[in-house]
Amino acid sequence: MPSPIVSLKNAGLTLRSGAGAVEILKGISLDVMPGETLALVGPSGSGKSSLLMLMGGLERATTGHVAALGQDLGALGEDALARLRRGNMGVVFQSFHLIPTLTALENVAVPLELAGASDAADRAAAQLEAVGLAARAGHYPSQMSGGEQQRTALARATALRPRLILADEPTGNLDSASGAAIIDLLFGLSAQHGATLVLVTHDADLAARCDRTVTLSDGRIA
Amino acid sequence: MNLRIAAKLARRELRGGIAGFRILLACIVLGVAAIAAVGTIRASIEAGLTEKGAELLGGDAEIGLTYRFADAGERAWLDSRASAVSEIVDFRSLAVVGEDRALTQVKAVDTAYPLLGDVGLEPAMPLARALDGRGAMPGAVMAPDLIARLALEPGDIFRLGVQDFVLMAALVAEPDGAAAGFALGPRTLVRTKALQASGLLREGTLFSTRYRMDLADGTDLAALEAEAKETLGTSGIEWRDARAGAPGISEFVDRLGAFLILVGLSGLAVGGVGISSAVRAYLARKTATIATLRTLGADRGTVLATYFLQIGALGGVGLILGIGLGTGVPVALAPLIEARLPVPAEFAFYAQPMAEAAIYGALAVLIFTLAPLSRIEDIRAASLFRDGGAGGRRLPRWPMLALIVGLVATLLAVAAAFSGNLSLTLWTAGGILGALALLSLAAWAVQGLARLARPLARGRPPLGWALAAIGGPGSTATPAMLSLGLGLTVLAAVGQIDGTLRGAITGNLPDRAPSFFFVDLQADQMEGFRAMTAEDPAVSRVDSAPMLRGIITEINGQDAAEVAGDHWVLQGDRGVSYAAAPNGTVTSGEWWPEGYDGAPQVSFAAEEALEMGLGLGDEITINILGRDITATITSLREVDFSTAGIGFIMVMNPSALEAAPHSVIATVYAEDGAEARILREVSNAYPNVTGIAVRDAIDRVAQLLKGLAAATSWGASITLLTGFLVLIGAAAADQNARIFEAAVLKTLGATRARILASLALRAVLLGAGAGIVAIGAGALGGWAVSHYVLEVEYHVLWPSALVIVCGGVLVTLATALAFSLRPLAARPAQVLRARE
Repeated sequence: MPSPIVSLKNAGLTLRSGAGAVEILKGISLDVMPGETLALVGPSGSGKSSLLMLMGGLERATTGHVAALGQDLGALGEDALARLRRGNMGVVFQSFHLIPTLTALENVAVPLELAGASDAADRAAAQLEAVGLAARAGHYPSQMSGGEQQRTALARATALRPRLILADEPTGNLDSASGAAIIDLLFGLSAQHGATLVLVTHDADLAARCDRTVTLSDGRIA
Repeated sequence: MNLRIAAKLARRELRGGIAGFRILLACIVLGVAAIAAVGTIRASIEAGLTEKGAELLGGDAEIGLTYRFADAGERAWLDSRASAVSEIVDFRSLAVVGEDRALTQVKAVDTAYPLLGDVGLEPAMPLARALDGRGAMPGAVMAPDLIARLALEPGDIFRLGVQDFVLMAALVAEPDGAAAGFALGPRTLVRTKALQASGLLREGTLFSTRYRMDLADGTDLAALEAEAKETLGTSGIEWRDARAGAPGISEFVDRLGAFLILVGLSGLAVGGVGISSAVRAYLARKTATIATLRTLGADRGTVLATYFLQIGALGGVGLILGIGLGTGVPVALAPLIEARLPVPAEFAFYAQPMAEAAIYGALAVLIFTLAPLSRIEDIRAASLFRDGGAGGRRLPRWPMLALIVGLVATLLAVAAAFSGNLSLTLWTAGGILGALALLSLAAWAVQGLARLARPLARGRPPLGWALAAIGGPGSTATPAMLSLGLGLTVLAAVGQIDGTLRGAITGNLPDRAPSFFFVDLQADQMEGFRAMTAEDPAVSRVDSAPMLRGIITEINGQDAAEVAGDHWVLQGDRGVSYAAAPNGTVTSGEWWPEGYDGAPQVSFAAEEALEMGLGLGDEITINILGRDITATITSLREVDFSTAGIGFIMVMNPSALEAAPHSVIATVYAEDGAEARILREVSNAYPNVTGIAVRDAIDRVAQLLKGLAAATSWGASITLLTGFLVLIGAAAADQNARIFEAAVLKTLGATRARILASLALRAVLLGAGAGIVAIGAGALGGWAVSHYVLEVEYHVLWPSALVIVCGGVLVTLATALAFSLRPLAARPAQVLRARE
């Protein structure tokens, strides 16, 4: 049996703020297998996005263990985590998070350049073409619609054919038509690259398209 | 527009605090404080000069004569009007100790000196006792630096001319010293009668006399001045009184103050860039609020007034703080500043500098806030549904543009009125506006270049991100280049001008300049002097000319000042010579024929004649030794003063002057190594002759310039400091964007080292850009001032220029590194979650 691509053992996350400590995640144990598509669902504030961040090493578990791609994320420093994400993970956010000073092509080229790809620009252009944005390559994020920005973000997240794609409500800021197109692309690219997809969503239909659904409630797996 | 509602809204918004306005406030405070401080120091010095006018002058009034003592009639008038009169003789001489000698400015006094104030001696003793000397030998006191130069101790003997003196004490305080003006040598004080046998005060030697009067309280000085001129004639007398005890210093302080305030204005202009950026950033944050207000029915005028009142309130606070700081600090530090000033000052809070700073500050705040404020007009209710900047026009609508142009014109008019110097104001304003335009252009070019260079950065992600940040949307290149660039430009221009001027005086000149001027040579000494120098193999050239001094009193029968204003040739006495043949090129007119003994004729320096409006056929009246000589200008000559050789503004036909008692001036060009020996030999052979080493004189002038350059550099530093503040403001405003960018890059796999490299690279590129433009603009300014104002040859001073570029890079790099800590430390999840 293959080993899980992401494995959480009794993981918890407590954030401290001026109002005191807030326990976001409590004792989460979960394995995600390679090639699987997993939906994380639950009400707002249940900890779905935080769980996704723990899986990507963007947030550190305050208790328990998180391993991804065979590495114990708790043992890695910030730069080591960055290097682990590079080429292995693609992250898609609800608010796209493109770099506003870079064009669409340059945004997609960033992970390729970081990985030292000599043909970064050509590959970025191909990625943009794959998401139907070849004509928008020279545009800045502020010059594109939300759907176009999210397609660019998707092209960026999958540029290095990552083994793990983490998507945090990727259609949350889009109209239904744009959202549907993005989801088709997301599933299509994941399948095409054989990647594992973990998806945070409020949409039951979308969750139903995944192999498995995990429901969170008040920081725990329900 | 509803002002009441606008005021209410403005008050509510300001309740949120001034967090986003710290840099705006700092820019206003610093700019206004610098101007207020310079103005306060200037007003304090001027008040001190007025208050202590009599003490500075050394009497209630003074009559100065050139080259001669007062005659019996003049002395009788002085004695009849004053309760006490003190006679002072001033001349240059060489103080000789064994084989060593040093130039000194000798002041010979009578027993009445000083009429006002006290002479300070070390060791302390009454001046009379010090000048009485020891036994039969007369005493003298000397400035400490001269004592040190000649390695003397109290009790040691030195010689002036052929007279020995015993040094009794060091002269540590001279009550009328500040008013004496620039001197080539340090002071020696002796009694006049002790000089009778020295051979230094014979007829025709170069000395001046001053007769100080102690007048009854309440004497009408203006009436007495009129009476003196009526009774004594305008026969070359110079009148000064306690109303302006040190007119030279007063004028100097006034001009330097005006110049420094104009430099301060450039600081305010840099601050203006910061003010403008801060207002722009504030309004960008308020776009949603403004759009909401518009949705709720607020008209454009009300919204504009709401934010104008907020910025106005903050501007008012900034002005008050700036004026408080700028006037309070000099007053608080008064004892410290007074101790360093060579002139008296009365430190207090003066209304004029406060008003001047307030007007400058208010105008600058208005000019730099109206443009960004006018963008409010472009924010519509629909902005709520769109993300980010609405774009819109680059320039404000025309009524606002006209208002801004009007305010700039008002600022220029006010600056010209306050400085009293229209051309200097226009030069400075032109410089600032030109530099701002050049820097804006450069910022635009740098952004364009950054975009063009993007393909070259492929495979070098940090460089690519840096170029994208400079060339992409939301770039801070313009405020960063404007603020730092203008500060560096002012510093570069000051550096280039100062360096060029000092180079012209200390660097190039001595190669062409003579080694010595010998003054007070008598006609009967010339043969021996010529023979002595001709035999010396180290001497390459000797020039000599008869030397008299005279004051131009009238031009074509009219008061000279009425015709030619305050031209430098009319200020005090000038050297006059005579010659049978021209020495130099006659540019127009005819030289007098050989043996001419008709009515006096004069050949005038061509450039100065042009400046004074003089031409061939004009008649000038020159008072020489109390006698008026009226001569017709029959030729104009080229006189090159830049070689430091002998050059006279006026040369007359021999028969007009040769009968008057006079001495000869000679220049000697000699090898460097032989200079000390030649000075020793000449002064041993002719003790009455004073040798002035040109190198020493140049050093003395260079020292004076160094002080001036230091004052200007302080002014420029304020500009740079303001620029630095603006840069910090721009970096702070940009920090959230950088934190976000770093978070995304980390998510995509970038290490902190790469992110730091990118942040450092963009700082280095912008700093270098600002520095290079500053060198260009500074060099242009340096060239213009050198060429048109100083009339010296200009070369770019690369060491100074390189320091500017490196400084620019270091300042931006330090700022960028300081502001990179938060982006580097930020956790991607937290940053990105906050944006969801």
